[in-house]
Amino acid sequence: MSRLEEIIANFQMLEGEFRLELLLDYAEKLPPLPERYQSVAEKTAHKVPECQTPVSLWVEMVEGKVQIHADAPRESPTVRGFVSLLISAFNGATPQEVLNAPADLLSRSGLAHAIGMMRTRGLNAILQRIKAEVRRESASG
Amino acid sequence: MSQYAHPEALVSTQWVADHINDPQVRIVESDEDVLLYRTGHIPNAVKIDWERDLQDPVLRDYISKERFEQLMSEKGIATDTKVVFYGDKSNWWACYALWAFKLFGHENCAIMNGGRQKWIEEGRELSKTTPDFPVTGYRVKNFNEKAIRAFRDEVLKHLKSGKPLIDVRSHEEYTGKLLHLENYPQEGALRGGHIPGASNVPWATAANPDGTFKSAEELRDIYQREVGLQPDDDVIVYCRIGERSSHTWFVLACLLGFSKVRNYDGSWTEWGNMVRAPIEKP
Repeated sequence: MSRLEEIIANFQMLEGEFRLELLLDYAEKLPPLPERYQSVAEKTAHKVPECQTPVSLWVEMVEGKVQIHADAPRESPTVRGFVSLLISAFNGATPQEVLNAPADLLSRSGLAHAIGMMRTRGLNAILQRIKAEVRRESASG
Repeated sequence: MSQYAHPEALVSTQWVADHINDPQVRIVESDEDVLLYRTGHIPNAVKIDWERDLQDPVLRDYISKERFEQLMSEKGIATDTKVVFYGDKSNWWACYALWAFKLFGHENCAIMNGGRQKWIEEGRELSKTTPDFPVTGYRVKNFNEKAIRAFRDEVLKHLKSGKPLIDVRSHEEYTGKLLHLENYPQEGALRGGHIPGASNVPWATAANPDGTFKSAEELRDIYQREVGLQPDDDVIVYCRIGERSSHTWFVLACLLGFSKVRNYDGSWTEWGNMVRAPIEKP
């Protein structure tokens, strides 16, 4: 079972309100951004334009494994939580594992129902963006 | 000196701080972010979610009268309670919730000027405790949908008779120039552009950078002098799903006292998908 499958299974086991609590735990555990990425210019250059919330992503390959850094505002805990969940699932994974992540992961985990369908668009965009960057990074590496 | 037409529709953070324990007042947080309330909220504020609480889970519509009555009763809101809304994103969703309450004829509604952002910037108290109030037996008395909600056929008649329409989306959405995003239909619609004859006044024109509303004088300058609306005009406002236009609806109906303003909540996600709906695209 991949790390992502484990996370999905954890969400599936919970009832709606507890899914939100778990997502909030992830929001609180988003790793701090390395100093080299903390400038406004860096954050702007790495913004995810499809997401209404100002989210910035950096996708790197370290010895063939995916390494993601991200920044999302504390006033947007849902986005922050989802980004943190993806980092927890993908950091240390192979590019192929990231590309294999199910596109319907929000519905599959039960999160789409818990947060409301109208809110899933921006979050799906973050997953698509990570996959696109992983594809690009692994092709150039 | 210039005053809002209904000054009681806007309260300050200080007013809310002074009424936290007032049994005649219920404070309601309504956010875009579904988790935000849990991270801390105004003490004694209840949460009402624009999607999970106010929208029907199956139909594209608001909840039924019965469900609204049940929701109000559970949140400890009586028909004469003064409900004060606040939220994130310059009170977008707070205005949306207020408008939905007005659909069900709840008279006494207000917005906390500046929303969540202002409350937090002022270093005021936050609580993580979800309050519990005695259940009420709420009854909807005056279902008000006709006066403040517009449906597509009414919008079509409205545009044919040349009455004013305000599109409150961004200029890029209004002109249909939105970036094409990978895997994304344009804003959930198959066609871009705007309803013919609509003026573009992005919702944020009415807000200061700190999320508070502009003064009555500034608002009159924008909507009456620049756009040319009159307080007794029949006006329809819209955006993508009717949320940002609730903000403008509040400005026109509650702050400037326009007598006939309706929100077209079908908005662009309905209009831009409708077969043969007339569209203007520069």
